[in-house]
Amino acid sequence: MDWLLAGGLGDGGVLTWTASEPVRVLVGVLALLALGLALLPGPAPRRIGDRLLELFLWAGALVVLAMAALGPTWVDESGRTETGPLVVLVDGSASMGVTEDGRQRSDALEARLAELVESGSVDGPVDVYTFDETVRSGPPAETDGRGSDLGVALEATADRYLGQQVRGVVVLTDGVDRGALRRSLREAGADGTLPPGLAPALPGPLTLYQVGQLDDVRDLAIDDVVTGGFAFLRTPFTLTANVRGAPGRTVPITLLRQGRVQQKQDVTLDEEGRGEVGFEITPRRVGRFSWSLQAPIDPDDAVPGNNTFPVVVRVVRDRTRVLQVSGSPSYDQKFLRLFLKEDPSVDLVSFFILRTQADMGAGWAPFELSLIKFPYERLFSEDLGSFDLVVLQNFDYAPYFSFNAEELLGNLARYVEDGGALVMTGGDRSFDMGDYQGTPLERVLPLQLGVAGPKSDEVPFRPVLTEAGLNHPITRLAADIASSQATWERLQPMDGLNMTAGVAPGAGVLLQHPSLTAANGEPAPVLAVAEVGRGRTMALAVDASWRWSFSEAAEGRGNQAYLRFWKSSLRWLVADPDDRRVVVTPARDNVLLGDEVQVVVLARDAGHLPVAAAEVGGMLIGPHGSEVPFSALTDADGEAVFTFRPETTGAHRLTAALVSDPKQAGASVFAVSDRDPELSEITPDRGFLETLAALYGERGRYVAPDESTGPLLDDTAAREVRDRREVDLASAPIVALLFGLLAGGAWFVRRRHGAV
Amino acid sequence: MPHEPTRRQAIAGLGAALLASRARPAMALGAASQLDVAEIMLPSGSTSRPAAWSRMLYELIQTTSVEANPQAVQLAPDDPALFAHPFSVLVGVDGFDPLSDRAVEQLRRYLAYGGFLLLDDGTGSPDGPFAASVRRLCRRLFPTRPLSPLPGDHSVYRAFFLLDAPLGRVAVSDVLEGVTKGPTTPLMYCPNDLSGALDRGPDGTDRYPVVPGGGEQRRQAKKLGINLVMYSLTSNYKHDQAHVAELMRDGKLE
Repeated sequence: MDWLLAGGLGDGGVLTWTASEPVRVLVGVLALLALGLALLPGPAPRRIGDRLLELFLWAGALVVLAMAALGPTWVDESGRTETGPLVVLVDGSASMGVTEDGRQRSDALEARLAELVESGSVDGPVDVYTFDETVRSGPPAETDGRGSDLGVALEATADRYLGQQVRGVVVLTDGVDRGALRRSLREAGADGTLPPGLAPALPGPLTLYQVGQLDDVRDLAIDDVVTGGFAFLRTPFTLTANVRGAPGRTVPITLLRQGRVQQKQDVTLDEEGRGEVGFEITPRRVGRFSWSLQAPIDPDDAVPGNNTFPVVVRVVRDRTRVLQVSGSPSYDQKFLRLFLKEDPSVDLVSFFILRTQADMGAGWAPFELSLIKFPYERLFSEDLGSFDLVVLQNFDYAPYFSFNAEELLGNLARYVEDGGALVMTGGDRSFDMGDYQGTPLERVLPLQLGVAGPKSDEVPFRPVLTEAGLNHPITRLAADIASSQATWERLQPMDGLNMTAGVAPGAGVLLQHPSLTAANGEPAPVLAVAEVGRGRTMALAVDASWRWSFSEAAEGRGNQAYLRFWKSSLRWLVADPDDRRVVVTPARDNVLLGDEVQVVVLARDAGHLPVAAAEVGGMLIGPHGSEVPFSALTDADGEAVFTFRPETTGAHRLTAALVSDPKQAGASVFAVSDRDPELSEITPDRGFLETLAALYGERGRYVAPDESTGPLLDDTAAREVRDRREVDLASAPIVALLFGLLAGGAWFVRRRHGAV
Repeated sequence: MPHEPTRRQAIAGLGAALLASRARPAMALGAASQLDVAEIMLPSGSTSRPAAWSRMLYELIQTTSVEANPQAVQLAPDDPALFAHPFSVLVGVDGFDPLSDRAVEQLRRYLAYGGFLLLDDGTGSPDGPFAASVRRLCRRLFPTRPLSPLPGDHSVYRAFFLLDAPLGRVAVSDVLEGVTKGPTTPLMYCPNDLSGALDRGPDGTDRYPVVPGGGEQRRQAKKLGINLVMYSLTSNYKHDQAHVAELMRDGKLE
């Protein structure tokens, strides 16, 4: 019978019709039409009894069909009581990845979870959630959360099961928690009080299962490196590493730069297993530089990844240190000193030769003189590295350097090659007239010496910009090229020129003589620049640049041309990365793995004005050589902004250049560390969990890692469950059977009397 | 920072002396770059003493490494050619009429952008009419910076020689006065008639007697002239730390 009714009809159920109103109307109309057809008389007369029987059978069949079309459904609802669920909160933070005795902490966690969920030790439904900084359904897929917050997880549980009873709330964690609950408990515990309401009200008793080794976690780590943010050039600064490990242990910490060991120091950890060690560094160049601090990795180290800490420090120049050496006081020296002395960004050291051996017969006694010895030996040896720029202004070395000229000039050449800057200006003691030919200094000068004919020309002339000079930042005296050229054309003529053998290989001429030629047949160079090794040099073969200052002042123009010329020269010569035409600047020098890094590439023209709509392209080069290309157009401020999300730790280099002029390039670096705060402390916190359990009194329980106590369960916790069963009667076999019998019977009666 | 010369340095110094003895005459690239003196001439109250300045520059050449053209040119205060001569003097023998606005404006620019002006009082009277005219001019040039006595440790007193007093033809004042802007003093007033002590007649003899010190005072005046030129070229160079420290070590400064 149940089969005929598609599963049977229970007690207490109700019949409902599921067809929509239009369907019901349609079915009624169709049924009446069909009945009307059935009433039509057949071709042969029949008995009234047969006629009525046939009509009755057709009507029955139509009723069955119509009822089936109206969607008859038998709905049977019944209520029942079920055991309340057990809620399990599983810690999914990164500290669960800590290795202890060769096994990850998460392994112990999984064992506990399996014991609860799969072993059948707990009857009834189990709802599993993962918590770290947030809460989500299901067990953890990875233990990589950036921090665990048990307080948030408990509050989420209270909200989720509001008004319900659960058999229990089980937490599986190591107790290393970054949330407010743990901090509050610490602070409350410090003054001996644990105020009620500190922890959220839960829908069931709480059991805290702790995982991890409570003692003797072997993890040597560099938790942090304090850099101070930035450092000044040539001023010592300290990288301080905060080291953590076994109390009393002496640990060697190594400072590396580009993979090479720079310094090594031992640090002995205190009774809390902490210590710090500082590495003093004196930066010699400006820019961003990366270092790495390393602690040794023991075979049983719980977190080998936190034994290395990469950092980037930005080195800035507080002031540009300039050494100005003049062989004779002159207007040229006077005006340059005035410029340098009045520039607050310049720290000037001047030495002027006020008297030579030839002047000593003038009859003045030494005590009358306010003269000091020229400390040439110290200046050009031990002090040389302290300067950003050396200006030799009509200075002849020979009367002073004497026997160690080769050594001292060699020092100066190496100083340039190692990143220093040098200017030699003209005069009767400069270039060939200063006998610099064949000296070590000649190899770094932008002009070739050894001129065969006259070593100077004393006919006034007005220098002419070369093609390179039109665009070079040093000779760009105005915002646009035409204005700059016009400025040069109205400046006062020079009084004469130091003749040279022409421009040195690799150097560039910015100003040249309008008619004289050098030994190589090219126009005689007046101003030339060169990049030598990591340094830069400039040769100005005249001694009257002061006229550019005074002549403009005479015309009421101030002295902007002179100031801009020397200011731009200074800027180009010291070559700070931030003064280049393409500047690459990461928003932060040190980032965490997974963080987004924003990089700004600034493009400027020769006059240091921003260039809009310039295409810049570059590469992000990872610590293992991986390359990520990038390109974009600059905006109205000359900036193009790129965003990266580094996937590996270590120093990442950035290079960028103008697509239209690849020589205009910049570079920078930033460091990526995985020093997740979650991993700065990995020892399981038993006190926190015990205190938390105590907050719940009899409804709280703490279970240590080595205990096998079951969870606190509220066996009375239950929930009302309502079952609803629906039987689709239209598809029940009895419908087809009834329809077949009635329709077949009507057909049989009709055929028996010859009707069709 | 200063250190005793080593044996090696001593040998090097001897070498330097030998090389210097055969040094060629110093000359800039073109005479125009060499130092000379521009005498500012006014319609009244000023005078020209080219021989005094030639003598001063000659002494400068003989005594120092400075390359100079021992001549003086005479220019009006509003002559743009003044800007070709960063060292200028105005020798007064009487009060002078106020300068034109154009002249004052040019002098102001001249002094602001690197020029140096010595106002030499030929009257030898710090309270005389020239001094009054000088103070009036200074008020127009530097309304907020009055002409003031220069302190005893001013660089002009140690620019080459160590000077106790700025002596000239007379010794009526122990100090120079000046207007200081930032690290430099572009304008100085000498009440003691410096050019009077240096001036010579056509026969090459001293034009004026020097009182009260006679020959020694004239010698001190030469030293003052050299210091003034050296100061105009090096400004506060002698106040750089390296110099101060070494001069103190040598007992020349306290």
